Amino acid sequence: MIRIVTLGEFPPDVLDHAQRRIHAAYGMGCELQGEAKLPKSAFTADQDAYDGPKLLDQVDDDTELYADDKLLYLMTAPIGGPIGPMGKGPTDGFAQQGGGRCVVTSAQLGGKGQLTLEAGLAKRAAHYVGHLWDLHHCFDPRCAMHPGWAPGFLQYPEVALCLFCREKSEKKIKLGQG
Amino acid sequence: MTTQGNEIQIGDGSLRTGDRVVYPNQGICRITGVEVKQIAAGHSLEMVLLKREEDGATVMVPRAKVMGIGLRKVATPEIIDEVFDYLASPNDDPQLDWKVRHRENADKMTGGGLFGTAEVLKGLHSLTRVRPLPQKERELYDSARHLLLGEIAAACGIPMHTAEDNLDYALFPPPGMKRKGVELKLLAPIVPIKPLRAAGEDDLGFDDDEETAEEPEAAPAAAESEKDEDRDEDEDGRKLKLVKSGARPKASKPAKAAPAKAAAKSAEKPKTARPAAKSAEKKAAKPAAQSAKPVKPARPAGKASPKDKAAKSKSPAKKKGKS
Repeated sequence: MIRIVTLGEFPPDVLDHAQRRIHAAYGMGCELQGEAKLPKSAFTADQDAYDGPKLLDQVDDDTELYADDKLLYLMTAPIGGPIGPMGKGPTDGFAQQGGGRCVVTSAQLGGKGQLTLEAGLAKRAAHYVGHLWDLHHCFDPRCAMHPGWAPGFLQYPEVALCLFCREKSEKKIKLGQG
Repeated sequence: MTTQGNEIQIGDGSLRTGDRVVYPNQGICRITGVEVKQIAAGHSLEMVLLKREEDGATVMVPRAKVMGIGLRKVATPEIIDEVFDYLASPNDDPQLDWKVRHRENADKMTGGGLFGTAEVLKGLHSLTRVRPLPQKERELYDSARHLLLGEIAAACGIPMHTAEDNLDYALFPPPGMKRKGVELKLLAPIVPIKPLRAAGEDDLGFDDDEETAEEPEAAPAAAESEKDEDRDEDEDGRKLKLVKSGARPKASKPAKAAPAKAAAKSAEKPKTARPAAKSAEKKAAKPAAQSAKPVKPARPAGKASPKDKAAKSKSPAKKKGKS
């Protein structure tokens, strides 16, 4: 089961759309669990954004997870993260690779040259949930695992996984359930 | 009997227990100790114990073979920086000969170290601009990416997800991304990509992936080595798919989709089933044969060609000889 917890306000139809698209992409139940407060201590002033890893550590949420459950946090504020060898780049979420929790932001969606809030949030959410099943970024621009800043991500707003990513996620889901 | 402690030196002396090492094709491991294992009656072997960090699996390597298999320490951040320089450099031309590519990639993955893995990833990445990757190479691409990410994350002390984002800032540079003062440019794919058809909630619209896969280079007819035999299955598989889709579409589909009951019924009624199948084969085979032969000028109806005459005169003799 994929459980969604919001860390901000979202229109119900946007959440409903995201739930449906995630369910369709992974063939797994997806439900809205509730709301939680955004931990202010995870805010980093130098990046003017919330630090993804810190946020997942410090979020005050008592959602119970079972063996194969995944937890998706949705927020509206921008997300940053540790700076790597390539320097600072665009970030729209953070996931514990192969782990249980991820956070996705709706920041910048609906703006000029961006997907609509509804389509963009669903695709970003499906992307980060994919990382929880150890899926890596995919070169296929039609796949939801294509990097979020690449032109293909905007060009194909449908939430779909390529054949390889879909098979890999199915294997991982079966392993988790087993 | 397990021996532990920092005083134990392994391999050429550069590795010690407790070190984080990279096992080629396995990922990041930690040396946990050295153990003497009884292999056969009166024969024992000293094994180095490694614990894979990803899943906690234990790997045992004979102490004498530690350097031979390519076990090495995790790269330093300076080396990772060089790897990113390489990844961010303009794309190389991909190797289009699949046999050469397969051999080179296998060698790089096992003995090429960190740069070998990076070369495999970049080579396959640049190939994706030209053509879709076959299944085995797609798996290799994913595996190379996973191993590289593990080492980048371990070397730089960053989460795996951040490492992946950084890797793709180099491979799919976002607008304005710079590497050492030089702005990186994203190269567009050469292969036209079919847009997705409108997908329902259950239909995700990726059914036509295999049909779009093309094989631009001709399969070499040269003698094949043993290493290439496993690749041939893939190549043959693809060729068969192309033949089926091109020459006999109607005859091949029902055979695959037919349930067991329908197959049993068709076995009971061979007279009705056979002509249909034959006519389908003939219909499909005729255009293919016609297109394969070069067009010749039409011969007058009454006149036979000299070759035909010779064939007619020879044919009774052949029959006699055979009988």
